[in-house]
This record gives sequence, structure tokens and C-alpha cells, in this order.
Amino acid sequence: MSHEKPMQYVDVSASPVKSFFVTMLTRDIELEDAILDLLDNCVDGALRSKQGSNGEKPYSGFEAHIEFKKDSFLIWDNCGGIPWSLHDYAFKMGRPTTHPADTPWTVGVYGIGMKRAIFKMGKDCLISTRNGDHDYDVHITPDWIDNEDEWQIPVKASVRPKKKDGTEILVGALYPSIADRFGDDAQSFKSELERRIATHYAFIIDKGFQVTINGDSVKPRIPHLIFNEKAGGKKAPKIQPFMFRTTTDDDVDVFMAVGFTRPIPSSEEIADEQEEKRYSTIDAGWTVVCNDRAVVYCNRDELTGWGEAGIPRYHNQFIAISGIVEFKAKDASKLPTTTTKRGIDASSRLYLQIKNKMRDGLRIFTDYTNKWKGRPDESKRHIEAGTSLSFEEIKLRAGRLPFSSTKTSVPKGAQYKPELPLPVKLEPRKRRISFVKDIEEVRLVGGYLFKDVSADPSLVGEKCFDLIYREAKK
Amino acid sequence: MKHPPYQLRTNKAIDRLMFVEAIRYLVRPNDEGRFTYYALGGPYLEDFRLMHENFPKMHLVSLEHDPETYKQQKFHLPCRRIRLLPLDFRSFLARYDSRDKKSIFWLDYTGLEYSEVEDFRSLLGKVASGSVIKVTLRAEPSDFLEEEEENEFKKKFAAVLPSSNVTLPRDSDELAGLLQDMVRIAAQQELPSATGVAYQPISSFCYKDGVGIFTLTGIVCSKNEVERTRDLFSKWRFANLNWATPKRIDVPFLSTKERLHLQRHLPCANDAGNRLHKILKYNIDVDREAAIAKMAQYADFYSYFPYFMKAIP
Repeated sequence: MSHEKPMQYVDVSASPVKSFFVTMLTRDIELEDAILDLLDNCVDGALRSKQGSNGEKPYSGFEAHIEFKKDSFLIWDNCGGIPWSLHDYAFKMGRPTTHPADTPWTVGVYGIGMKRAIFKMGKDCLISTRNGDHDYDVHITPDWIDNEDEWQIPVKASVRPKKKDGTEILVGALYPSIADRFGDDAQSFKSELERRIATHYAFIIDKGFQVTINGDSVKPRIPHLIFNEKAGGKKAPKIQPFMFRTTTDDDVDVFMAVGFTRPIPSSEEIADEQEEKRYSTIDAGWTVVCNDRAVVYCNRDELTGWGEAGIPRYHNQFIAISGIVEFKAKDASKLPTTTTKRGIDASSRLYLQIKNKMRDGLRIFTDYTNKWKGRPDESKRHIEAGTSLSFEEIKLRAGRLPFSSTKTSVPKGAQYKPELPLPVKLEPRKRRISFVKDIEEVRLVGGYLFKDVSADPSLVGEKCFDLIYREAKK
Repeated sequence: MKHPPYQLRTNKAIDRLMFVEAIRYLVRPNDEGRFTYYALGGPYLEDFRLMHENFPKMHLVSLEHDPETYKQQKFHLPCRRIRLLPLDFRSFLARYDSRDKKSIFWLDYTGLEYSEVEDFRSLLGKVASGSVIKVTLRAEPSDFLEEEEENEFKKKFAAVLPSSNVTLPRDSDELAGLLQDMVRIAAQQELPSATGVAYQPISSFCYKDGVGIFTLTGIVCSKNEVERTRDLFSKWRFANLNWATPKRIDVPFLSTKERLHLQRHLPCANDAGNRLHKILKYNIDVDREAAIAKMAQYADFYSYFPYFMKAIP
């Protein structure tokens, strides 16, 4: 071997392959989420345009319209267009390190969303944009997509000059599976897309942004929590959310609130829900918001602290508990989101610290639910005495509440721990009786005792006991 | 369990006959033994009686969870072909295996709950290609007059609503239209285009015998059979093959004498409502317009209109 001539090796190519971006990367994302990526670009464009204008409705006047049919997809907005200064970055696959600093409070960090969304849907795309004096078209053709060696995309002055700054993306030559969803499945697709926009963009739409799908405007689904300010004076126990706020060393603002959205369920309601699904969706669980985008909506598993570290697993009895955590950062890379921007990076140090607080809050409300189990009517009175407030309203109220600092625990910050009403314990001399009987037998006895076959089974049982007790005492 | 007098509900009686007619388009005489009809037949098994009279070789299975109603069914059994199963629909569904045999289902609900939409969805995914599913739901606008009731409806059905901005119609025909959109979304969710199977509507109606009702009949078939199915029903004047607005059944109350008098002039091709109104020479409803509308309904459905008569047993 030692006498043999050594092999001659040549350098290997590690250059990107276009088909990887076009056919592989697109598999990692659902069609609905790909469209949400396009909407993210609209919102980021609005943020670039509105710099300086804040207030309660910072997105007011900005809108994005989605129109799909069997053979095409169109999204157009008035959100400022793609500045010509960004042209070298906006159409690149991924984000080069030379990319200029992002507009504060945006979320697009990875530079792949728009391209991935287009490649997910079809092979022909016309991007037409106007920003200030620049009004240009970028046409991605099927030939360009199929040509592995061509990486330059021609840019031309717009064929149809636009009246306002904004972007229009028209995708044609749809893949058959996409054409099916926009055609044969159009109604269910629209319903699902609308649901996702109504939840993920709830806070942005609530702050003035307008989104329409095939002409119908999307109504935001904002989580609300019960907040009771007045009952029984300042120190009296009442239903209020647990709240926590902090600003991290790298300037991420965090605000968290968890509480009740409705009265706790009765045991009949829990049993009914177990037997048959009464609600198509449930608004219980945690919503995580990053720079106004809800990246997680109504989560009820370990990701948000359910079923770990002493917190019970989510069960229908906790249907009334809901929480919201908001992360805000000028620099989007500090936010604990995944690359898809529709999920939380569960290993993020910041998120893990905040999750500790989320569990602290959950514990208060799961404990309350367990304590009041079997006495839903009494509990209902406490909960219904409060008002249902949106997250923004809760943040406003929080300013007037006595937050205490948590300097020694992780994460550092300030929290407001409500004093929830406690049930008076059953006296030791009292015992609970419960039993199960055939429904027809219960109806028969209900009819006999109350002349009402639909009488509440627990009332029927109690009345039977009282009657026999009176007999027995004689 | 107390039941309304199903057998005396005129509009529902017509809907039943419409269903029989739809099945007649689909099932060839030599083929009826290859179908099994499953339904929640109620105490009198009225639909089973009709099915048996029209398709004597068809297999019939009744599902009933209430023990007293089950006893009533045993008493009213109209023929030997019916198997009475003392099961609720969900327990039945857990056991049901189509074994590639065609079924005809009638999910005849009297309420409107999300679990019923779920039942429909589950069934779509289980039946053999070529099977028929008819679903009937309550469509009563007065159920949602209060804001709280409307919000509860939206919470329950959020996943199948056509729009988050939907306002519940105060008109029962429009409410039936909304329910049809919701059933369509549920069908697409269960059978997305990628599965190669579709739920093709055949007919849809709304009517009111006291409370508003919506009913939709469709066929589960492979995508490449959709056109053939549409062709099969293209000549049926009551067909709804494109998810159009449900057709209203709202026949007038007429005496036998009135009916016999009008029937001599039927069928008539054009402007039937006006012509029958002129023949009768008086309003049978609150005003002329309403009376003409009722006459048009009669002209549409007179051959399916049941006679209720006093009988001495």
C-alpha cells in the first residue's frame, strides 16, 4: 500500500440546490401557515411604514386582502411595499449576514417566509410592489424554477403602476394539491384559514389591521379573562387574574395574565363533554404572543406547563382556565419563537423562566377549581360578579394594582397574586352522598316528586333522602 | 319518552317521500338487496315502512337507545325485514363496518348540537363508496334570539362556520342555508380532496311543522364518480347538485274537496301558483301573495302530499 500513488481528491460542491427550496423546504409548512407568513410580511411592512405612530390602534388604515380560487392565489396590501434598498435581500433564499437591521418590533428574521409560501403554492408568481418612487415587478416563472443554474430573477418597472405603496403577490400554475384545496375544498379551507388568522393575528387585527379573505373581513378572537375590581372592598377575596411582568436584560418585555374565562363547569357538564363533543373548539389554555402575533393559541399540554411540576394534566374540569403571555422585543431574534413563527422554542432560556411563572399562575386556578368542585353554583356567583376583559384592558387595570417584586426568584419581575374566595369547609358532621341510577327511574321519581320528569337528578336524590329521613325519625 | 306525532307532520311526510324518490334514482330494482338502510326510526318506524314498501328487498336496521321507544318500535314493527338494535348511534358507529357494502343512512336529529355534526363526519369516513347519507337538523331562528344564545352557537360550531363574522339569520330558510354551508365544511374537513372521495349533495330541503328543520341528502363517492352521480339526478326537478339554497317545503292545509278540485288542473308548467289561486278564487293564507306562494308549493308537491283521514279501526 505504501508504494501506491495517493488518491487525488477534488473539492466537493456545497452550493445550494434550487429544488431543495422549491420542493423540500415547502414540505415543512402547512399551506395555511405559509399564507400566514405572507401576512407577516404585510404586517412587517406596516410597521416599517408607521414608525412613530403608536396609540391604541397602531395598525389602523393598514389592510391585507387574500383572494383564492381554483387556479390562482392573490394577496395584496397597502403596507408600504418592499423598499428598493431591500431588493437584494427580499428575494434571496435565507438572510445574509449583511442584511440591514430589521425594523423594530417585526418578526421576520429568517428571510424565507415569502419565497417558501410562493413555492408551496405554484410555479408562476408575479410580485408587484410600490415603495415611494420605486414601482417594480418581479416575475418568477416555471422555467426559472426548473433551471438549477439560474439564480438571478429579472426585475422590471411595473406594467400596471400602483396608486399607493403596497405589494401584490399573484401565484398561478398552482400545484394540483393546492388547486384542489382552493377549489374542491374551498369552503373548509377558507374556514380554517380564517380561524387561524382570527387567532394568530387577533391582537394585530384588534389594533386596527384589516384582513379579508375572498371579500369577508376577519374578526379577531381575543382571549378575555374575568376581572372583579369592586366586590367586598380592596382586600376581600375576589376573582382576578394572576399577573406577572418583567423586562429582561436584553430588553424583552414580558407580561403574563392567567385566570378564568367563565364559571367552572358542573360535574354534569364535565360528564356530558366526555360523552359527546359539545364544542368544536375550546378557548381554554395558554396563548403566547410575540410582538403582537399569537404564536401559540389555547395550548393545553406540557409546552405551556400543563401536566408537569405538580400541575395536573389538562382535563375538561379546567375548561374555564385561560392565560396569555406576551413577549415584546425590538429585536425579533430575542423572542422565543421557532423558525416557523407559529410556535414557541420550548428550550429557550427566557421561555423556560417564564414558564415557571405560568405554572405558578395555573396552580392558583386549578386549586380553586378543585376546591369548588361539586359546588359550581356558589362559585358561579363569584365568577359572574366580575367583568370579562380583553388582554389590553387587563394590562391597563394592572397599572392600578399593587404588584409585588420577585427579586429573589427566577425570573425577576413583579407579580400580582389575587386572593380568590375559598369555600367554607364542609363541617365534619356532614357527609356527601352520591349515587348513580337508571335515567328512566330518575325521570319516574322526578315526575312523582316534582311533577317534572326533567327535574335535576341531584334534587330528586336529596328529596328522596329528606322524605325517608322524616319517616325514620318518627 | 314522549315523541311528537311524526305521522301527522305534513311537510316531513313530503320530505320522506322525496328521500324515497332520490333513492329510487340511485337503486336499480335488482340492486336493492345490496343496500342496507340504517336510521333512527322513532317509535312508529314510519320511514322504515316506506322503505320496505318501495324497496322490499332492502335490508333495514333501526337504531334506538331509549328502552321505552325500543319497546314501542317492537310493537309497531311494520315488517319482518327490520332489525331493531337497542343502541345509540355512537355505540353503533364504533361497531359498524361497511365491509364494502353500500349503506343508506338517515341521521334524523331533532336538535342542533356539534356532536351531531361530528357523528355525520365520522360516518362519512366509514361508509363504502356509493352510500347515501341524509342528515336532518333543527333550524329554528327563535332558538338564537338572545345575544347569549347566538354567542353559544358560534362557540359550539366555530370550527365549521363559513365566516367568523357570521350573523345568525332570523329567517328559517336562511338559517337552513347557513347549516348547509356548515355541513359542507364538515364534509370537506372529513373528506378533503386529497382523499379522492367526495360527498356529493343530491337534495336539500327546509320545512317547518312547528319548528324549522333542515335536511340534506348526499352520496359518498369517489371523485371520478361525481359526474356520473350528477348525471343520474340531472333530470330530477328536486335535485340540488351544487349546494344551492335548500328548497322550501311549505304545503298548505287544504280540504280533500279543495285538493280534488285543484288536482284536475295539475300538473301545469308555468305560473302554477297564480293559476291555482285563480281556480280556487279565494285566499287560503293571510293575503293574496302568501296564498299564491302556498298554491305554488302545492303544485310542486301535490303528488307527495299525504291524505290524513279519520279511520275506524
